[in-house]
Amino acid sequence: MTGPVRTLVAWCPDWPVVAFGRGLDEPVAVVHANRVIAASPAARQQGVARGLRRRVAQSRCAELDVIERDEAREARTFEPVLAALDDITPRVEVTRPGTCALVMRGPSRYFGGDEAVAALVRDRMGDVLDGRTEIRVGIADGPFAAGLAARAAHPTRIVEAGATPTFLAPMSISVLERPELSDVLVRLGLRSLGAFAALPPADVLARFGDEGRGAHRLASGLDERPPDARLTPPDWSISTEIDPPADRVDRVAFVARTLADDLHQRLEHDGISCVRIAIEAETEFGETLLRLWRHEGALSAGAIADRVRWQLDGWLNGSAVTRPSGGISRVTLLPDEIVPAKGRQLGFWGGETEVDERAARVAARLQGQLGSDAVMVPERRGGRHPDEQLVLVPAATVELRGRSAGDQTEHAREVDGEVPPWPGQLPAPSPSRVPAKPHAVELIDADGAMVTVTGRGMASASPVSLGIRGRWLAIVGWAGPWPVDERWWDVDDHRRRVRFQILTDDGQARLVTLEQSQWWVTALWD
Amino acid sequence: MFDTREMAAAERVTDLRLVADKVAPLALARERTMPLLPALTSLFPEGGLRRGSMVAVGGVGATSLALAVAAGPSASGSWTAVVGDPGLGLAAAAESGVVLERMLVIDPRGQDAAGVVAALVGAVDVVVVGPGVRIRPADVRRLSSRMRERGSVLIRIGSLDEPGVDIGLRIVESEWTGLGVGHGLLRARRVRIETQGRGSAAQPRGAAMLLPGPQGAPIALGEHALGEHAPETEARPELRVLA
Repeated sequence: MTGPVRTLVAWCPDWPVVAFGRGLDEPVAVVHANRVIAASPAARQQGVARGLRRRVAQSRCAELDVIERDEAREARTFEPVLAALDDITPRVEVTRPGTCALVMRGPSRYFGGDEAVAALVRDRMGDVLDGRTEIRVGIADGPFAAGLAARAAHPTRIVEAGATPTFLAPMSISVLERPELSDVLVRLGLRSLGAFAALPPADVLARFGDEGRGAHRLASGLDERPPDARLTPPDWSISTEIDPPADRVDRVAFVARTLADDLHQRLEHDGISCVRIAIEAETEFGETLLRLWRHEGALSAGAIADRVRWQLDGWLNGSAVTRPSGGISRVTLLPDEIVPAKGRQLGFWGGETEVDERAARVAARLQGQLGSDAVMVPERRGGRHPDEQLVLVPAATVELRGRSAGDQTEHAREVDGEVPPWPGQLPAPSPSRVPAKPHAVELIDADGAMVTVTGRGMASASPVSLGIRGRWLAIVGWAGPWPVDERWWDVDDHRRRVRFQILTDDGQARLVTLEQSQWWVTALWD
Repeated sequence: MFDTREMAAAERVTDLRLVADKVAPLALARERTMPLLPALTSLFPEGGLRRGSMVAVGGVGATSLALAVAAGPSASGSWTAVVGDPGLGLAAAAESGVVLERMLVIDPRGQDAAGVVAALVGAVDVVVVGPGVRIRPADVRRLSSRMRERGSVLIRIGSLDEPGVDIGLRIVESEWTGLGVGHGLLRARRVRIETQGRGSAAQPRGAAMLLPGPQGAPIALGEHALGEHAPETEARPELRVLA
């Protein structure tokens, strides 16, 4: 059995920030789904770290510039950097924008050793980047170890052939980027990759399943999956003609989307998923462009389509050097590395499911059709009123994939009483209708006078009739008043309200609120 | 090696899937159901929510009933989408058992609501359509066939007598408990629900329940329990004004 392929990984730190053309000395944070995913060194110095909520990040660094993530832009700006490496080897593989990998065997022999190639790569990338960010280069056996070598590099780190397991052994188990698995392993006392790799593979497979086996192989310095002797059948590739040749991204992207869907369906039908895909474009003058994209998990239809769109965008909107000579007349997708599909059910560790994926896709589609704030998702907030406890936020600001698995625990914590209660909340059952705009009503006592509430929180009289748009309903049950005096320290936001539950003879129960000497129906138990 | 075995297994699964496609009866989607909350099972002929069916709810309390119907599939992993009903009580939805982390709330913005619903069918399992949304009969027919094909369920609030509805649930009696005159708190609502429908749901059924129950989720009562003293499910002392 052959070992992992010797690989070079070049990594530009903070790429999401660099892609926006921002200097690394400015405090900048890039957020996605309300969480920080990258921050400039200047922002990091002030305590802005990955995974923080936007507001927490802003509170740590007041002058922080927060930018919404733009993956297409990241990919587009990275393309010229990749193009600079094209004459070292034609098969440059993109792991994600900002990180790329090349197989070392050919280039190393041609250019005279690993050091020479590393220097050449730094040189070429440096020319394009022009000092916008640093470049770290790592060489080791296998892409995983090479990636870690690049992270440990100052600025180049070459792990000798065969020394990869020794290089990996002292690393923390968290570099596997499988939080749930490493959490269990740490509790078992296995804190380093070496300690984990020392376990017998069969036992790891028996206890932690396929995912555990993959992690164990990585920790041992092997490829995540054992090499597959079976040849990739050539007919997995799928291509389409574009006539007339397209030079606008949106036209090609539309074709790419259907192509990606077709490919995904075909692979799924054969029980196969794809971890690396080659995207090939042919121009009207017969020029061909090719780029490889890798994904840590399996590429879903949406992920394939995204990568195709980014890549074509990178080619078509790139600099004069990388731009193709004419319109694109043909797009081909070749699943380059395939693995048996394990199905996308709710995994042992939870995580992304297919139903989440489908819901996220339809949400994205409707956002495009109706506007981004037409598709909302509920989010828990604190509050005393039904319309404050839960609010709707645009679906675009949260990560829908994996949401049900991740947030249920948050909800469970709430149910278990770990989240403190809000004093002054009305107890369950909650009203089933909370109109966005409360409508004004009249509440009168037996003498026909408006019911008021004294400064000591007592009702002036028993309410007997509720007037809604000129219609009078007899009150058969009521309770209250429950006064709320909120934000009294704030002149603008100060609210004083008094709430009543009112049941009328039509069987309808309502939450009626007195505010500014006016009665409002704020909620209904329909 | 594990890998070759895995590959062989994947191939076998493929073969089996091909066979399954060939022998699958055409009415498969009709027979598949989604789980319902226990209090509601007696209202549906299959004891579950049949995939591809259109459910309508009406009467005072229709919103609570719609949430109760949606809660069963939602709790078992389905996504719920609410179209054209921005005033839906989210806290009430959570209490009745709808998982808010798997919920989308969509405002059609005056555009064709049927088109929005059609986009959602197949992507989410349960689509709740608000009381103000009108869908043309021709669109209903198209939607119905799409739903049967994709296996999603449509719940319409307050459109009991419209065409295309497979099963209609109407709250015929309702009575709140817990609220006195000047004291107490709304605690639960005893309701009696009757069904109307077509096909397997043609035979009328009825059930009595607390909807919402003291914690929001519906609680089944005996068939004739309405009007009798409901079992005290939750011992919460009633608040009275003493002086």
